[in-house]
Amino acid sequence: MRTTFQEDLARLEADLQEEGQYVLRALKGAMGALRNRDIELADDVIAFDDEIDKLCTRIETGVQTLLARQTPVASDLRLVLAVLKINLHLERMGDYCVTIAKYVKLTRDLQPERRMVEGLEEMGERAEQMTRVALDSFSARDMAGAESLGDLDDLIDRANRRAHDDVMELANDINLREWGLRMLFVSRCLERIGDHAVDIGEQTGYLISGEFREFTDASR
Amino acid sequence: MDDTPSTPRSDLKPIQISERTRPGSSTRDIVFDVQKLSLHYGSTLAISEITVPIYKNHVTAFIGPSGCGKSTFIRCLNRMNDLVPIARVTGQVLYHGQDLYGPTVDPVQVRRHIGMVFQKPNPFPKSIYDNIAWGLKILGKKDNLDDRVEQALRKAALWDEVKDRLKSSGLALSGGQQQRLCIARAIAIEPDVILMDEPASALDPISTTRIEDLIHELKQDYTIAIVTHNMQQAARVADMTAFFSLDVSEGRRAGVLVEYDETTTIFTRPADKRTEDYVTGRFG
Repeated sequence: MRTTFQEDLARLEADLQEEGQYVLRALKGAMGALRNRDIELADDVIAFDDEIDKLCTRIETGVQTLLARQTPVASDLRLVLAVLKINLHLERMGDYCVTIAKYVKLTRDLQPERRMVEGLEEMGERAEQMTRVALDSFSARDMAGAESLGDLDDLIDRANRRAHDDVMELANDINLREWGLRMLFVSRCLERIGDHAVDIGEQTGYLISGEFREFTDASR
Repeated sequence: MDDTPSTPRSDLKPIQISERTRPGSSTRDIVFDVQKLSLHYGSTLAISEITVPIYKNHVTAFIGPSGCGKSTFIRCLNRMNDLVPIARVTGQVLYHGQDLYGPTVDPVQVRRHIGMVFQKPNPFPKSIYDNIAWGLKILGKKDNLDDRVEQALRKAALWDEVKDRLKSSGLALSGGQQQRLCIARAIAIEPDVILMDEPASALDPISTTRIEDLIHELKQDYTIAIVTHNMQQAARVADMTAFFSLDVSEGRRAGVLVEYDETTTIFTRPADKRTEDYVTGRFG
């Protein structure tokens, strides 16, 4: 038993889970800012991204050190590679939260449309749920949980399409048009967060089975 | 998505991600301060002007191609080269600030504080118990002998395997167990430093892993300097790594220190091209 190596691996995985929790905080903050038109909170979300980035860099350095010093093989190697990729997915998810916060600031003086806000809130809930499922199934090496992300992604994709329909309806209302167009980007960010959660699930699948398999079919 | 109407602003305060404790991030106590150390065998220069600090409670690995003077160097750290009549040392080895080669220094006392474990396990042809107890008795540490033997064997991660056969010969143990017995023997007399000269090169992979785990445990209490020609072993166990090479310029063939840094740095971004070539397997 290579004790030091196993400890380093466990620490790396713990850091990754911590980064996931940071992303969840940023997502909750971004959606709270959107719901309440809270500019101060939006600024907090933007600033908080530095914390995610710092953790991301630390994980990347840890992976580099482990690869250089411990030459992991088999499931250990798959774990290190999965951590490396999931780390990037989480960092990107954090960036999408920042984008949402920036759109909250950009639309501060525009009139919102209640039904679309509710739709976006629902998407935010789905994105949060998917992120949790992705992190938990990775932690538990739960293939069924990871695969369920494909189905969850269908729901958030559907909500994204609804947001497009909503904006089309708003297009004729001069007071709501700009706000609606801006919100399309928010919808897109949430949909992308869902996609990254699916990607994390795929890494869980790779870790468990040793074979990489896409959970969603992009051609559909 | 939020259960409460209040916004989670307090969750988004900057978080101090504390730097993990690692070599280099804190003040390091120096055990050996080696300054311009050279060693000649007769008229032949073996190692040339080695300057290197060795830090307390760190594992420092010495790597490099065969014949570059790694073993010669660490044998200077406990005056083992005194036993070679034609060996002559110049330069300075300060051990906790004291000149190890000073005129009043007793080499036997030096080796009492700076123990050594060799490539080939060399237990005494005595019982497991006596292998540990022997040195203690010589040093007059005869009180609580059983406890001292047990503690040394426990620290060397050997106790559970031998506790029921302490009177059996040390030579009856497997190679890996014999090497741990030698480590137990070295630590029984409570040294400050343990020098290890390729301690796992004669062992199988499982025994090697046990020795490496043990080294990791032992550094809590001791300062360890290890010579290894197994680069990956250095990468796995050492905090600091020194790369030695053979300087063949000006008609000489002398071991020189090329680079010394934190192990992670040596194996991810070495500063010297010779180190890069060696750790990537392009040379040596």
